[in-house]
Amino acid sequence: MDVLQNILVFITFLIAVGYVITKFVWKPAFLKSKKESEKGCGVSGCGCS
Amino acid sequence: MGKQINVSLIGNPNTGKTSVFNQLTGLNQQVGNYPGITVEKKEGICKLPRGLKAHILDLPGTYSLNASSLDENVVIELLLNKNDRDFPDVAVVVSDVENLKRNLLLFTQIKDLEIPTILVINMADRMKRKGITLDIEVLEAKLNTKVALVSARKNTGIEELKEMILNYRQISTEPCLHASIMDPEYFERLRKAFPNQSLYKLWLVITQDVNFGNVNRHALHKETNFHIKSNSDLKRLQQKETILRYQFINGLLKEGLKIDLNSATDLRIRFDRILTHRVWGYVIFFMVLLVIFQAIYNWSSYPMDFIDTTFASLSEWTKNIMPAGPFTNLIAEGIIPGLGGIVIFIPQIAFLFFFISLLEESGYMSRVVFLMDRIMRRFGLSGKSVVPLVSGTACAIPAVMAARNIENWKERLITILVVPFTTCSARLPVYLIIIALVIPDESFLGFNLQGLTLMMLYLLGFGTAIVSAWILNKILKIKSKSYFVIEMPNYKLPMIKNVAINVVEKTKSFVLGAGKIILAISIILWVLASYGPGDNFNKAEEIVTSTYNVDAETHSNLEEEIAAYKLKHSYIGIIGRGIEPAVTPLGYDWKIGIAIVSSFAAREVFVGTLATIYSVGSDEEETIKNRMAAEVNPILGGPLFTFASGISLLLFYAFAMQCMSTLAIVKKETNTWKWPLLQLVIMSAFAYVVALIAFQLLK
Repeated sequence: MDVLQNILVFITFLIAVGYVITKFVWKPAFLKSKKESEKGCGVSGCGCS
Repeated sequence: MGKQINVSLIGNPNTGKTSVFNQLTGLNQQVGNYPGITVEKKEGICKLPRGLKAHILDLPGTYSLNASSLDENVVIELLLNKNDRDFPDVAVVVSDVENLKRNLLLFTQIKDLEIPTILVINMADRMKRKGITLDIEVLEAKLNTKVALVSARKNTGIEELKEMILNYRQISTEPCLHASIMDPEYFERLRKAFPNQSLYKLWLVITQDVNFGNVNRHALHKETNFHIKSNSDLKRLQQKETILRYQFINGLLKEGLKIDLNSATDLRIRFDRILTHRVWGYVIFFMVLLVIFQAIYNWSSYPMDFIDTTFASLSEWTKNIMPAGPFTNLIAEGIIPGLGGIVIFIPQIAFLFFFISLLEESGYMSRVVFLMDRIMRRFGLSGKSVVPLVSGTACAIPAVMAARNIENWKERLITILVVPFTTCSARLPVYLIIIALVIPDESFLGFNLQGLTLMMLYLLGFGTAIVSAWILNKILKIKSKSYFVIEMPNYKLPMIKNVAINVVEKTKSFVLGAGKIILAISIILWVLASYGPGDNFNKAEEIVTSTYNVDAETHSNLEEEIAAYKLKHSYIGIIGRGIEPAVTPLGYDWKIGIAIVSSFAAREVFVGTLATIYSVGSDEEETIKNRMAAEVNPILGGPLFTFASGISLLLFYAFAMQCMSTLAIVKKETNTWKWPLLQLVIMSAFAYVVALIAFQLLK
């Protein structure tokens, strides 16, 4: 049971680390949403967040 | 049948233009859509004296001839095209007596097109209530035109207007502003290239890219080889034009318009007189803030206690029903306390947004912005900076983006740089928990001390922002100014539905936005706090037991000693002790150091981090506040969270630039890493020094 729980902890940890990295450090291209990459921005960047 | 006069009714939106149209046309009006244009124009026939008729065209509302939308373009295209069958013999510009200054901008532009132009000042029936007096003779003389004082609602002044339309040929077409003064050399070349054209019309063609007659922007260059300035230069000249026009209008209204608020009898004016008063306005705003922060504290204590206890019970319950092991501990000691650290603040945040929504809905917030504009100007910022600073109380990210409406780059940059000082909702959980720990829950002059402290922190944030702006203004040397125009909405009773939607949406975005980050960081921190390298961590029980005198009475102490020893030698403990020398002078231990570093992801993470770290290895059902209150200072002994360390921490969070997302948005808005990095270094260093001084003085 302990081994299984350790594996679950490890997986949860990896997911959490992955989330933080993609959120703040680097986001691979396949995770970028289509909406985000295709959205139109105004001349001065208005409407882009 | 006599000659029909073409009359165009033009004006800013909501000046009562359509009411004037209806009074002029009576029952003769018809509504028709013009082919190819989706914007509706109304036309009608007005019977004039001496059997003459006028064809009245009611054009879409526009603020100026610098078109920014399709319906505004419709107006300009008509006014520039003499061949259009509706081209006006006379233009009637309808203005609102309460917004004359803004309305006159459009009037002066139309007059400069050398079309006979009549100024209608509508809503004259409101003048007495608003304490307004007009010197029509002065206005007519300065504007070189006829001015009709009209109340379309009361049907007064309409006959005089008809008479003016009838005699339109007597109206001077002399422009208010000679276009050439914007740039004499450039306009001289333009005059030479197109000797038979109106200079202001040519200028509009160049800047608007609309056609009139057989001349268009491209033809200007092709046919005469006339060099057109770059877009940025044209934009600068447009701004210069607007400033020159407002200078002319200001001079005109100084003589022709008087507003005596003391003689005004209107309820709105009476309210405005008090709420925007240069002394009472600020006193009232201060009292409003006081009431809000007191209410936040008094009303939310019960739901907060309930949430805190519920999460503590949930942790305990999870441990009881799930099989013992690290994953169960992760949920019970990491995830649940971490999430509890954010959910607990929902009541206070909801109350804060509830009050902000009430202020916005009632129309009071616009008065606050107006009041703040006076302060801003003294610190070298325009009133436009107020909106980002006020919205910064919710979150710095949309606030930084809101600075886009500031045309002047340096003013915009300063606003972006100082916005993170205003107290965002993410700081609220940190403030609330520290205040609850170190400020006594007592009254001072009838006000709750904790509520007063929170209010002081908000004022401190705002005060620091404007003082920093003043310093930056001196360093960056702003020469040009931008102008701030705000339309005061009428006072109204807030709609409960709107307030409710606003509170739910803002609270939801606060919880969901920060919730995912807090969840992830709680998991990471728990793992780092529950695992460690080497014998010191893995054989902690043996090491502590061998140095501890075990007996029944001290068994629980032994458990605590083992948990503390393991935490100290866990991965997080090793990292924490690495940064401990930097935070000890501020009165913090390594756990607070870790919480400060992790809250760089989002400030709210601070509470969740401490809740997670303090939960690791703890078997007792305990609330976050009690866990923090029980922490002991490893160096000085006694409680870790004292008045000195608490104030030091509050000041650190008031000044530190901690939020990664804010740095990212500053980089995006300034298009360089230079400013966000400067912001990070200067704000963090300032926060550290202030926190250090505070602790050393108060300890």
